[in-house]
Amino acid sequence: MDFTLASFVNALILGLSIGSIFLVAALGLTIIYGTAGVINMAHGEFIMLGAYASYTLQNYLGVPFFLCIPLSFVVVALIGLVIERLLIRYLYDRPLDTLLATWGVSLVLMQGVRLIFGSDPKYIQMPSFLSTNIAAGPISVSIFRVFIFLVGIGLVAAVWWLFYKTEFGIKLRAVTQNKEMAASFGINSGQVYALTFALGAGLAGIAGSLFGVLNIVLPTMGMGYVVEAFLIVVTGGGALLGSILASGVTGEAQSIFAYIFNDTFAQFLVFVLIVIFLRFRPQGLIATGGARR
Amino acid sequence: MVGVLEIKDLHKSFDATKVINGFSLAVTEMTLQCLVGPNGAGKTTTIDLISGRQKPTSGEITFREENITGLSEHEIARRGIGRKFQVPAVFRELTVRQNLEVAYNRETSAVRNMFSFKPDGCAKRLEEIAADVGLTERLGIKAGTLSHGETQWLEIGMVLMQDPAMLLLDEPVAGMTEHEMDKTVEILNRLKKTNTIIVVEHDMGFVRRIADVVTVMHMGSLLAQGSIADIEKDERVREVYLGTEDDEESVH
Amino acid sequence: MEKNLYHNRLLQWLVYVVFFAALAVIPLVMDDAFLLNQLATYGVYGMLALSISLCWGFGGILNLGQGIAFGLGAYGMAMTMQMQTQDPEYSPIPPFMLNNGLDALPAIWEPFWNTGFGIALALIVPTVFYLIFGGLMFQARVAGPFFAIMTLAILSALATLFVDLQPYTNGVNGISPPAALDIGGFVIDPYMSTSYWVVFALLVLSTVAAKLLTQSRFGLIVQALHNDSERVRFLGYNVAIYETLVYAASGLIAAIAGCCFAFLTQYVSPAQFDVGFSISMVIWAAIGGRNSLLWAIIGAFLVQGAQSYVGDEFLNSWILILGFSFILIVRFLPGGLGGLAETLLGMVSRKRETQESLTVGAGEPETRGA
Repeated sequence: MDFTLASFVNALILGLSIGSIFLVAALGLTIIYGTAGVINMAHGEFIMLGAYASYTLQNYLGVPFFLCIPLSFVVVALIGLVIERLLIRYLYDRPLDTLLATWGVSLVLMQGVRLIFGSDPKYIQMPSFLSTNIAAGPISVSIFRVFIFLVGIGLVAAVWWLFYKTEFGIKLRAVTQNKEMAASFGINSGQVYALTFALGAGLAGIAGSLFGVLNIVLPTMGMGYVVEAFLIVVTGGGALLGSILASGVTGEAQSIFAYIFNDTFAQFLVFVLIVIFLRFRPQGLIATGGARR
Repeated sequence: MVGVLEIKDLHKSFDATKVINGFSLAVTEMTLQCLVGPNGAGKTTTIDLISGRQKPTSGEITFREENITGLSEHEIARRGIGRKFQVPAVFRELTVRQNLEVAYNRETSAVRNMFSFKPDGCAKRLEEIAADVGLTERLGIKAGTLSHGETQWLEIGMVLMQDPAMLLLDEPVAGMTEHEMDKTVEILNRLKKTNTIIVVEHDMGFVRRIADVVTVMHMGSLLAQGSIADIEKDERVREVYLGTEDDEESVH
Repeated sequence: MEKNLYHNRLLQWLVYVVFFAALAVIPLVMDDAFLLNQLATYGVYGMLALSISLCWGFGGILNLGQGIAFGLGAYGMAMTMQMQTQDPEYSPIPPFMLNNGLDALPAIWEPFWNTGFGIALALIVPTVFYLIFGGLMFQARVAGPFFAIMTLAILSALATLFVDLQPYTNGVNGISPPAALDIGGFVIDPYMSTSYWVVFALLVLSTVAAKLLTQSRFGLIVQALHNDSERVRFLGYNVAIYETLVYAASGLIAAIAGCCFAFLTQYVSPAQFDVGFSISMVIWAAIGGRNSLLWAIIGAFLVQGAQSYVGDEFLNSWILILGFSFILIVRFLPGGLGGLAETLLGMVSRKRETQESLTVGAGEPETRGA
């Protein structure tokens, strides 16, 4: 293998980009899991719905791409809210059943989209300036990847603000810490859970509108993201900071292994390393205290 | 005198909170030692540390001259320490009989248990213990349908099925009726002739009827130790414990 | 109360006998080779549902990655069958390897020259894999949903690995051995009733073994730790070992199913590691009834039977219906169809019991238990 500093630096930058994609994919999941302890297997399909929402808005209504992103958030958040009210709220005390029920939801969503849009791939167009590369000597990065990275930072900042600087955030953290005590202070935990679920779903919607550009839009596109997103959450330990660290580390690891071997083997290696890591630190990188496992 | 269980300078902290702070204890064989103290004194934590549910931050626990500090729960149980939980923990989906059968742990090897369909010698012992704890007529029903008092009995029965060298009982009479408590007193007084027992208890009336030795804990360390008469005379104990709970005690 | 007929052990064994007798009659009255082959494939699905029920319904370990053992078993068997058609002298290398530029048989393929050794590996490798992976996870006390997700992660990692190792596995195209399995002259032709009988025998064998396991003392302790694993530790049992062994036992059954699948279809590909397929196994067990070995098997038969009855044309709507019924079962009927049968039989038995106690007077017959 011809090792050059430039190609290695490129791999590191790519790792940062992969990490930011992982983070964007895992952010909604982290919030839903971290707050309500819900293992939402339909998260990948929420991402898929976000992609289809953007595709529909752009192709049928002519909405510009930058407006599609927040609108996808709204659309998927609403779908998430409906699912939470109809199904998830009855299962909060049965974690394994939530996992299964949300898996059923993912089947239904995937199949429903397939019936409406068909199985052929769709494409989301992005403004042309995003499709170029920035080059600095031998190092080159696609602008769209930089854009995802920036969106990732923006979303983290927004979530952080929501959690720590708003009244909703105070309620949410109260419910996470102790549901019963929060209830005695007049906080409606059902409402907080519902909004959190909608928020998590909406974030998946944003992820979908970005990933739909990065890859093609297919009914099955969510499958690939959900496992990776979950590994980020589990490795991180369920907290926001944990997920940020975990996506950074796994993104870099994946990119470096891919640089040494190849993409698929890199993925295999990262998964195996996560299993070994969890053997010695089952609580994840950042322990969130009340261990739920 | 050498104790069957010896705890030396035990410390346990959760983050910045010191729950156990330099606690030492020696338990003599065939005695019933009561561990008392106000809420938060570290009684249940001590039981957790002895039985391996938690690992001490520092210190040493010796059982029958063997250092058992840091061993896992099942290793400690296999060395003959049986434990009852504060909130009775039984297998609610299993029948009372099955609960007792699981507790009969002469064979713990998973592989050998795969080929075992009748626990040897268990049946006779099971009938005896069921009679002891008054559950003979309940053997066929699911443990989840027992009353609270009966659940307490079942868990005591499970500890007995283990035939342990030492019993750790965390609040064994909580939620029992007067009559049930009388029966527990009777059983414990019989058991202490052949077993070493540590009982964590709030109810001084109950302690008075069973204890050979009383150990008072306060803020994670030993405050006083002696016979019940000594303890009740002790000024410091009055201050931190009996004094604050006088009203409650007069109810009994 | 143990009066519920559903819990009567003798009656349970009787139902098993009737069920398997009915399955044994099928090849005697049917001579459509294609249909018989398909029914034998259902037997494989039944084994998979059985393995899920043992692990999840009985042991409380939700396993979304049962395709790991199934796929490894299937590959092991397909490799064995492939090598049976190779000749050490004249054509020692399978054709697809030549196409992928290999000029020598990879060392990992060497043991598969010997049929007995190859089949043994097809069963041992997945079982040992489960022992190691399960051991790692359960010792770290990773349980519940987390374990389920880790199985899923390993499954998708394996799928990518088998695609990636193109020269050794023929990548996405998979391996299709040109001839039927031949065990010392006994040929298991997929389109003859022999293959049905082999699958049938293995299904009966694994069901009986699994049933005995649940009724052993090991089974009792597993039931207890399904209830409250924390409490079991304080009784002196090493919970991680018990969990690992239940998981590995279910893996062994899935590996047997994988072997059967390979000789029935004479084809194996990374699709056997497909996440969706592993989830289907859980759906079969859930719809049939995760808490009952037999009902889980029936669940597999019903769902797969209905799917092929509906046909490819309506497959899309069928999966939609399947998804909805799965959600409804999880939400309203966690015991599946078997749970429904249990409740109904319980109602019937109770009615009978009250009638008896009216005429005979109340006794204490239930102390003898089941």
